[in-house]
Amino acid sequence: MRLVTLATKSMLNRKASVLLTLFTIAISVMLLLSIERVRQEAKSSFSNTVSGTDLIVGARSGDIQLLLSSVFRIGHANNSVSWASYQDIKAQRGVSWAIPISLGDSHKGHAVLGTDSAYFTHFRYGKKQNLAFAAGRAFVNAQEVVLGSEVASKMHYRLGQQIVISHGMGNTSFHHHDDNPMTIVGILAPTGTPVDKTVHVPLAAIEAMHSQPKSAPRMIGKPKQSTDHDDTHEHNHSHDHGHADEHKHNGSHDHADEHGHNDDHGHTDEHNHGHEQPDTVAVAVPAPAHLHGDLIGEPKQITAFLMGLDSPLYTLQIRRNINNYKAEPLLAIMPGVTLRELWRMLGLVEKILLLFSGVVVLISLLGMLTTLLATLNQRRRELAILRSVGARPRHIFTLMSSEAILITAAGCALGIALFYALIALAQGTLQSQFGISLSISLLSHYELMLIGVIMAAGTLMGILPATRAYFYSLSDGMSIKL
Amino acid sequence: MLEINNLIFRWPGQTDATLNIPKLEVAAGERVFLHGPSGSGKSTLLGLLSGISKPESGHIRLLDTDLANLSDAARDKFRADHIGTIFQNFNLLPYLSPIENVMLGCNFSKLRTQRVSASGNTLTQQAQQLLHALGLSPEIMSRSVSQLSIGQQQRVAAARAFIGQPELIIADEPTSALDADNRNTFIELLFQQASQYGATILFVSHDNSLAPLFDKQLSLVEINEVNQ
Repeated sequence: MRLVTLATKSMLNRKASVLLTLFTIAISVMLLLSIERVRQEAKSSFSNTVSGTDLIVGARSGDIQLLLSSVFRIGHANNSVSWASYQDIKAQRGVSWAIPISLGDSHKGHAVLGTDSAYFTHFRYGKKQNLAFAAGRAFVNAQEVVLGSEVASKMHYRLGQQIVISHGMGNTSFHHHDDNPMTIVGILAPTGTPVDKTVHVPLAAIEAMHSQPKSAPRMIGKPKQSTDHDDTHEHNHSHDHGHADEHKHNGSHDHADEHGHNDDHGHTDEHNHGHEQPDTVAVAVPAPAHLHGDLIGEPKQITAFLMGLDSPLYTLQIRRNINNYKAEPLLAIMPGVTLRELWRMLGLVEKILLLFSGVVVLISLLGMLTTLLATLNQRRRELAILRSVGARPRHIFTLMSSEAILITAAGCALGIALFYALIALAQGTLQSQFGISLSISLLSHYELMLIGVIMAAGTLMGILPATRAYFYSLSDGMSIKL
Repeated sequence: MLEINNLIFRWPGQTDATLNIPKLEVAAGERVFLHGPSGSGKSTLLGLLSGISKPESGHIRLLDTDLANLSDAARDKFRADHIGTIFQNFNLLPYLSPIENVMLGCNFSKLRTQRVSASGNTLTQQAQQLLHALGLSPEIMSRSVSQLSIGQQQRVAAARAFIGQPELIIADEPTSALDADNRNTFIELLFQQASQYGATILFVSHDNSLAPLFDKQLSLVEINEVNQ
């Protein structure tokens, strides 16, 4: 019988404490692996938020500030880019496409992004994937809106429903553009990026919201009214809560006065047209030609724009040109570079997470140490018996340390199994809630290294009780002390 | 077989010697009764004989080897090869079967393993034969150690001491937990096994009533000059 067999049999004799220790280690290993896996995947999905964009251009601020506001909709870009500059830069040689974006408004806490149709053709994320529609189509006129998948699922919005966009960020904006209901015509497929949390509207709609002349209330939000009657019907057909909300709001605030328009009048208007067609869940069909309208309007300024170049070789040259742009101070960033910079800033959080999971593993190993040391005293008889049949102190040492190694190894094995079980369970939720896609793949080099470190630490821990047992066996000899 | 000369032993940190034995001799094949009340240095002497501890001065010659001259590791190996031990009680490993307990010592001694295979038996066969000779039925052999009576446990311990034919069997109060009948039967069985290959038995007990069963009676109190 080998010593390892002896150690195994001895441990099986103490099932309860050994199993508890083993489970503690297994759970900590599972935690460490899961946190690390999620961290890595988060990092990769973070860097997947935008791809295929060569430059992001905005008003002069900080690189990271521009990235945060244009890609992550975090923070507020105080300055903007004039529409003239945008047009000028877009027309320059080497520029393949440009997507204007205008931020600063919100819908029930979701960022509203004003753009044009280039967004749906040129914006790419992840591994250069284009945006796809889960339902519906892109907007073709200023009264239509396209939702990110999360906005739609969280708010339970359906195609054809009408929503109201408010000015400013946040949920509690006092300044509602409630006379400008917009129709949901498209819902994007999930991307796992901030796009999912964004409400996309045409630039013209943003412009209409902000530049509405107080003297002409009926024109607001319906610039195409005179030429396109069907459009009016279109965005009035739904009588659900979108309207109810509006109603309450108008009642409680002096909104009508603020905007100088007649609320009652608007309401009557809606009712007159409100019976045209019931809610239809539109499938991705091209919009009828007569619905097409001006998406851009006449914006004076936009928040930023994304650019794709004919060749990445132009990037530095064009970037320099933009940074030295004469007409107004502008800043061009390369998203990949700035994303990495940003992730480096988040590195601290990342390290703290790693530290915590590391500490959990350490605690579980210390738990094993405690158990081994606590049972050691009760095992002095066992050691004495082994000594009497000829076991040398080094055998005792090997026996005790192999026990720690066996427990750690079994704990790691069980922890890995639990880790895979957890991934299998959490996969769906993580993807849909946080946009982190976990794949059930083999352990990476790095993860194997972590296991290696845990094994080494467990082995080291085993040395302490083994050494004590060694000295016990020297001093006790064969005499049974219990 | 065993010869002690001018043995002095002192526990570290103590001023008085625990043992001072000018002379002790045991011949090969002898069955020796060593009377030792508790506190007389009995455990210390057994520790020295089995090579766990080392004398401060003097010689312990066992099978023509002076234990005092051997290194710690060599003494351990010497014990594994040449000495079988039986304790008072509770000296089986509870997580091993009776047969595995008997075979335990062979893990640590090549010599004893070789002796078993020289007899043409496997270790398991040898263990079974010994247990059978000591009066345990095959049905009992397959039980868990904790299900055995104390008498049965002591027989398993005796079989473990005898496997691989060590020259010296040290029995430290092996019968103190047994009733009188069992006690005598157990000692008979020990003698039977020992006589098969001429093993020496050193039987330590505080119970003088057993002394007449042995070839030679010694009193630790008398041979140890520290107590006088």
